Amino acid sequence: MNETEQNFEELKKLLTIKRHEVPPPGYFNHFSGQVISRIRAGEAGGSQTFMERLQAEAPWLANFFRVFETRPGLIGGMAASLCLLLVLSVIFADRPDAASKNLLAVSEPSPVSGGPVAAMAETPLLAASADSSGIVASTNPVTSLQPTATLFGQAGASPLFQPAGFMPAGH
Amino acid sequence: MSMPETAATSDAATPAEPLETDLVHKARRGDLDAYDELVKRYQQRIYATIYHMTANHEDANDLAQDSFIKAYQALKSFKGGSSFYTWLYRIAVNKTINFLKQRKNKQHFSLNDLDFQTENNPDLVALISHKTPLREVGLTELQKKLNEALLKLSEPHRMVVVLHDVQGQSHEEIAEIMDCNIGTVRSRLFYARQQLQGYLTEYAKPA
Repeated sequence: MNETEQNFEELKKLLTIKRHEVPPPGYFNHFSGQVISRIRAGEAGGSQTFMERLQAEAPWLANFFRVFETRPGLIGGMAASLCLLLVLSVIFADRPDAASKNLLAVSEPSPVSGGPVAAMAETPLLAASADSSGIVASTNPVTSLQPTATLFGQAGASPLFQPAGFMPAGH
Repeated sequence: MSMPETAATSDAATPAEPLETDLVHKARRGDLDAYDELVKRYQQRIYATIYHMTANHEDANDLAQDSFIKAYQALKSFKGGSSFYTWLYRIAVNKTINFLKQRKNKQHFSLNDLDFQTENNPDLVALISHKTPLREVGLTELQKKLNEALLKLSEPHRMVVVLHDVQGQSHEEIAEIMDCNIGTVRSRLFYARQQLQGYLTEYAKPA
């Protein structure tokens, strides 16, 4: 440690020049007076800046804002991403059927699988009702699931649904 | 007029502990006369630290005043875990570092004049006497070079050099002011001195 201290001896001597730098004569005669009058003015006006109040009440938030002050690019990036998010949400809010169709397309099984479930999927009630009514309330998906005609009303049209007969044997 | 920045002078200026506590108590109750006394007591050291960090008199004036005002407003949150002096220093240091981060790439000097004692400082005389026959020009040039070199250091490294080598604070005090451990202070000081020596090879050759 002594060796390194010796190595810096010249530098330390050089740094003593800083101790000789002095403010204009009489500067400190008025310094405390200025501080006190600024405090008095602040108390009289009660004028703490927004950032000062924030620093006192929520220092973490003030520090968060200070990051933006030091990195102006960050605030631009954040504003751009917020705008993008807003635009995207507006676009998707206007096209609810596209989203629901996409959902159905994903869940639609292949026609090869066959069976009654597959047959139902081939004539999706949801799509039919959406097309026939023309209006789909995006905020009320339950109503859009309701078919325009009841299953029993269309029973004759669908091979899956046969009218129930109650005929005793032999008649 | 010379600022009381060395360890010896700062020791002499440090007030008796009970009196400072008394003043702080009064100031907390809104006694501005007591706070005025506290400001007078520490104004030179706080100003000097900020000035050496910014190399700009006007910035140092604003920041020093702001630091004292902020300290007064925050006095209620001062728990007394450290001395008022250390607590005040911490406010000034944080304020200065935040300011310097915002001011990046907009550095401009507004250096104070050197006092009349400078030319009588044997160390400085020895340093410049063989560089230039015009002593005054040599000192001013040296002052400028030194400030330029200091401004090349990062804020934490500059702060450690200013507090230790210029202000004469101990490693322990600096650790408390900068809220880090003593090892960090030592390593920052070593690195900062190495950097400075590199920038000032013309004036400060290693022994």
